[in-house]
Amino acid sequence: MKTPTVATDAEIVGAPPDHVEETFSDLLELHRSGRLAEHYPAVPGLLYGRSGEDLIRAGRLLARVDPDEILARHPGTTALTVSVVGHGTLAGLVAPLTAELARHGLLARLHLGDFDSYVTDLADHASDLYARRPDLVLCVLNPDLIWSEVPVPWQPDDVERVWAEKLELLEGLVRCFEEASHGVLVMNTAPLSRAHTAQLIDHASRARLGALWREANARLLRLADRHPDLVVVDTDPLLADGVPARDARMSVYAKAYLSAELLAAYAREIGHLARAFTGRARKTLVLDLDGTLWGGVLGDDGKDGIEIGETYRGEAFRSFQRVIRQLGSQGVLLSAVSKNDAETVSEILVNHTDMVLRESDFVRVVANWRPKHDNLRELAADLNLGIDSFVFADDSPYERGLVRRELPEVAVVALDDEPARHVAALLADGWFDLRVLTEEDHERPARYRAEADRHTFLHSFDSLNGYLRELGVRVLLATATDSQINRISQITLRTNQFNLTGGRLQPTAVAALTRDPEALVLGIRCSDRFGDNGLAGAVLAHCEDDLVYIDNFLLSCRVFARGIEQACLSAVLHHARGTGATGVIGRYRETAKNGKVRDFYPQSGFVAIEAPTTAETVFHHDLTEIPPAPDHVELVVQLAGGELL
Amino acid sequence: MNNVDDLVTIIRDEIGLPITIADTQLPLADVIGWDSVHLLTLCVILERETAQPISLPDVLEASTLQAIFDVAVGAERA
Repeated sequence: MKTPTVATDAEIVGAPPDHVEETFSDLLELHRSGRLAEHYPAVPGLLYGRSGEDLIRAGRLLARVDPDEILARHPGTTALTVSVVGHGTLAGLVAPLTAELARHGLLARLHLGDFDSYVTDLADHASDLYARRPDLVLCVLNPDLIWSEVPVPWQPDDVERVWAEKLELLEGLVRCFEEASHGVLVMNTAPLSRAHTAQLIDHASRARLGALWREANARLLRLADRHPDLVVVDTDPLLADGVPARDARMSVYAKAYLSAELLAAYAREIGHLARAFTGRARKTLVLDLDGTLWGGVLGDDGKDGIEIGETYRGEAFRSFQRVIRQLGSQGVLLSAVSKNDAETVSEILVNHTDMVLRESDFVRVVANWRPKHDNLRELAADLNLGIDSFVFADDSPYERGLVRRELPEVAVVALDDEPARHVAALLADGWFDLRVLTEEDHERPARYRAEADRHTFLHSFDSLNGYLRELGVRVLLATATDSQINRISQITLRTNQFNLTGGRLQPTAVAALTRDPEALVLGIRCSDRFGDNGLAGAVLAHCEDDLVYIDNFLLSCRVFARGIEQACLSAVLHHARGTGATGVIGRYRETAKNGKVRDFYPQSGFVAIEAPTTAETVFHHDLTEIPPAPDHVELVVQLAGGELL
Repeated sequence: MNNVDDLVTIIRDEIGLPITIADTQLPLADVIGWDSVHLLTLCVILERETAQPISLPDVLEASTLQAIFDVAVGAERA
């Protein structure tokens, strides 16, 4: 066996081998030498492309490492406290969950509830579960939850009765959770196996059982409509892709009622949820063209020679394009980066009758002969997005390897020469999964396209001031309405750069703030001559004694540096003075991404009042001299329905 | 899997427990870091390594790692 030399993170991350065995050797070597904690930042690179038993194997080793040691060595690591409760033996979830979170650069602080203690854990507000203040609670449900209470002999009616009781119990537990926790509760549908349906020998009863079982699962799924803190993972699509629901021996001998494969697939979904939960949902899908969106090589085969449309392979590429268009319709920004001549590509996107995707579906189409990583870097700068919000899909191992080497933050999707597999490869990792979709998401691609027009407009001016005056920026700073709660939560979850504290709020936390008479939840809407930017930012504040505390200030990266943030801050300061406050307190907590707003408060007349720590600086504004809103911004302020300025 | 040393390597490299050959003779409760959860994981790994089904009840009743090895190898050689 090869014995790799494990030297530095840079070496490991910088040269991620494609061959899975080699990466496992590296991980194993780190484990053997007791240096997994030391090299934790390298782990996502080592887990790249791994799945199945191989990933679980890595998860078992990672689960042995003390999370506190990892955090002590790498304080910037995002840790999630995850409690696992439910019916039956759930220890099989530990390794896959640990690995799935680690793949996304997250650290799991996992707590496994005692066997079958989920009811007391969730119902008792004083339980250890709540004392740990979990970010995620996984209440894992399985068919034995029902079958263990069904008498023998049984009829479908017996099953229906047990399900009804359990659903009532589960909804009660969800309500308890909402009262006691600020985290997210995850439940799942329970699979129905042939080992149960086939016990009924007449088809009529079997059909009744199938129907009532699915109705019960459907009611479980619908609980999430009424309970915003609840996510219900639907296990049916996982099973439909060929994952077995149960392992008879593990079920009988070990009370592990869900198969290891299903737990692994479930853990993968939880990984996607954890990514959304921590503001790591990806925003942009960058696609190669030749071999990715159509078959063949445009430069060699010509526009009539590429595979798209009525042939077998052509249909496969069309199906893939339909899926991409569907993602785009939900706010994923689509872009193409291809080694081709720009005119030829444009000709296909505009005129080829069999294309599903058109030029207008993309926020940018970059066709040139430069290295793709250079194009990706430029694209990120152009869209004002972090490169770590990109997903890059390409069928060429060479291009993928280069992008992974040069830009390890980019999620790289490996497509191959079988276009029928493209859809599954793209969707496997739920890169764009969100808790809730808002109206803003549907508008996002159009807004980013308008951004391209702004850039062109900007270049026609000699000075930035001249540009801003002509841009016609209009801002509405107003108390958030109920319909904006999801969007404001989303802004806290998605905004990394202009996020003064790095704070994230789930929808129910925002809703609670809107009901708090001492709290201010303000939405920032803005528009300009190129269109409406929608709800693009938020100010969260509260009053205490005679001070106003700005708890966080957030602005979408699409719209900052146009005077909007200064205008809104000025309005908040005026409002504070108008309500009789003697000062305003602002906090800046440094994160990996928000360095560019470090001086936001001092530049507006705030003074640091506490010696800055590495973690946080607290600023005070005495309200004597309030900087005016920039004069190119037309500002309207509506607080609690009244127009104040 | 030829001898109990191989079992020790598997437990060290796959489950992550730093056991030694001496631990294979101890009652499972005395093996530092061991708990019943590892038993299920180990069964799956041993079935993979030996390419033979192993009797879960026999493994669950085993009192030492050596006894687990004997069950697994017994299946392999049967």
